[in-house]
Amino acid sequence: MSRLVELTNTGPVRTAAAIAATFVVFGLLLLANGSDPIAGYRAMWDSITRDTNSLGDVLVRFTPYLLAALAVAVPARAGLFNIGGEGQLLVGAVGAMAMANALGQGLPRYPTLVLMAVAGMVAAGAWVGVAALLRQSTGTNEAISTLLSNYLAFLLLGWLVFGRWKDPGATGFPRSRILDDNEVLPILWGRVHVGLIVAVLVAVAVWAALRWSRWGFQLRVLGGNAEAARRAGFASNRLAASALVVGGALAGLGGMLQVAGVEQQLRPAMMTGYGFTGVLAAWMVRHHPLRAMASALLLAAIAVGGNGLKIRAGLSSASVNILMALLLLGILGWGGRRVVRAAT
Amino acid sequence: MMVEAILVGAVRGGTSMLFAAVGETVAERAGVINLGTEGSMLAGALAAYAVGIETGNPWLGAVAGLVAGLLLSLVHAGLVISRGANQVATGLAVTFLGLGLTSLYGQSYVSQGVVPFDPWAVPGLSDIPLLGAVLFDHDPLTYLSFAVAPLAWWLLHRTGLGLRIRAAGERPGVLETAGGSAARVRWIATAIGGGLAGVGGAQLATAFARTWSEDMVAGRGFIAVALVIFAGWNPMLTVAGAYLFSGAVAFQLELQARGTGISIFILDAIPYVVVLIVLLLLSGRRRHAAPESLDKVFDTGGGSA
Repeated sequence: MSRLVELTNTGPVRTAAAIAATFVVFGLLLLANGSDPIAGYRAMWDSITRDTNSLGDVLVRFTPYLLAALAVAVPARAGLFNIGGEGQLLVGAVGAMAMANALGQGLPRYPTLVLMAVAGMVAAGAWVGVAALLRQSTGTNEAISTLLSNYLAFLLLGWLVFGRWKDPGATGFPRSRILDDNEVLPILWGRVHVGLIVAVLVAVAVWAALRWSRWGFQLRVLGGNAEAARRAGFASNRLAASALVVGGALAGLGGMLQVAGVEQQLRPAMMTGYGFTGVLAAWMVRHHPLRAMASALLLAAIAVGGNGLKIRAGLSSASVNILMALLLLGILGWGGRRVVRAAT
Repeated sequence: MMVEAILVGAVRGGTSMLFAAVGETVAERAGVINLGTEGSMLAGALAAYAVGIETGNPWLGAVAGLVAGLLLSLVHAGLVISRGANQVATGLAVTFLGLGLTSLYGQSYVSQGVVPFDPWAVPGLSDIPLLGAVLFDHDPLTYLSFAVAPLAWWLLHRTGLGLRIRAAGERPGVLETAGGSAARVRWIATAIGGGLAGVGGAQLATAFARTWSEDMVAGRGFIAVALVIFAGWNPMLTVAGAYLFSGAVAFQLELQARGTGISIFILDAIPYVVVLIVLLLLSGRRRHAAPESLDKVFDTGGGSA
């Protein structure tokens, strides 16, 4: 009889130990590269804590990370993988821009922003809806279809930005027009925009919906035991599809907030890696929507610290991917209690 | 001649993915999905490039690529097999690890001169019209790749290890009852997958692109994992998948070169759409071909949150 090993609740002590071990290993890897790890960490730390603006940069990055994490967490409740956050963020940004273009400054600021957010969510929800449909009708694995759709979303953005949406006044690299004042999110302070509050409220709402709503309950049952869900008479296919579509819409909102709060335009390389980071953030906390705030914040700090690593220590900023990956690997492998039970 | 250009492009561009996809087939037949294949290709690419430069010998580079890809896949194996971590999440994290490691250690190699694998035309055979250019005028790793899928098929279906690999993927309980260790077999299969992905990365860096740049694999490892499903876990069909994808790439590059007036972004999307459509057409029919305990991988999502 083979055994099924399953990790359950993440213990705080073990999580802390996994995080600490991660930083030690990354330090050793820097050492192996002939770099000074102390200087590296100091560069990262300084770039995060230099002033309120650099702390703000972390919060600005936290916003799309959190929504990308929720986009993974909701389908995961139903036992589904959404690895398409990367593309769904972009499609959300494209949807928001399309709405802004369609409105043509015909509405006041807040209705405009709300409609842009709705458009971004609908666009990204519909985008991942295709993957949900494929899964339902032909059994195409959603992890693979959402992964491949990232490339299509990237090309869609490129097609628009290099084509019909290209700003004729753009010098250098092609980009879309710059959003008007009434299409841009209000600023809280520095570069921190109101999307921060929106993202946190959405995380709480997702948590509440998963915990207390009938829908959330059914998703949990479906994710825990598909057979039980079937016997209970749940519309399993529709439930699974709804989880994916809601996940996509959350990422779409993240894309809208990024374009209306930070970028204020579309450009080809925007949000590269944000969707994948969201996957890491969600898995680090086993898809708990509130705890995802902690993991998204930590990963945002590491990402911003990576810029410091590049500017102040001359190391590639992508090096911090090591840190992010080790964190998740540590938590996946050693972050929880091991429960061994007989396989059925 | 467009047909020739597409076919040559299919083989040239598809070889790195072919290595990775055949390796991933072996791993998945043992029940292990490894999205870290992308990371193993990156590790293989940098290791081959760096060792090629340091030693002046591209063959040593290819061996280094194999070892690097294999070592990274052991991280996946250790977590997934020995620690019971989720396969998809672990695989993605391993790819991130590979991306980070290669960008850290590869920084000093960016845009250095490579010691490349040069094409070697097979005397006589390479003069055959069409076929010669398509099959017999390539770098040595590409010739090796022709043997990889048949070897993998032979391994899986004609050797004792292959039987154990398939048993580990289909009925691990039966394998254990018979005195085998599903865990050990899965370690081996994952290592084979990672090693082949590393060779694929080596081919990409030292024979195809002949350069090293950050994140140069650019999704080929992920595509390779998709191709495994496309091919219904059959290593021979995997070859068709890899060549179909890279043939579609070559086709759209030809169209771009001819100037069709269609946006290059739409043309660039063709290969992905082709793979998605083929997956779509085949998946209903092929679902039963999936290794039985591979499904469990996809069912352990959020149940424990």
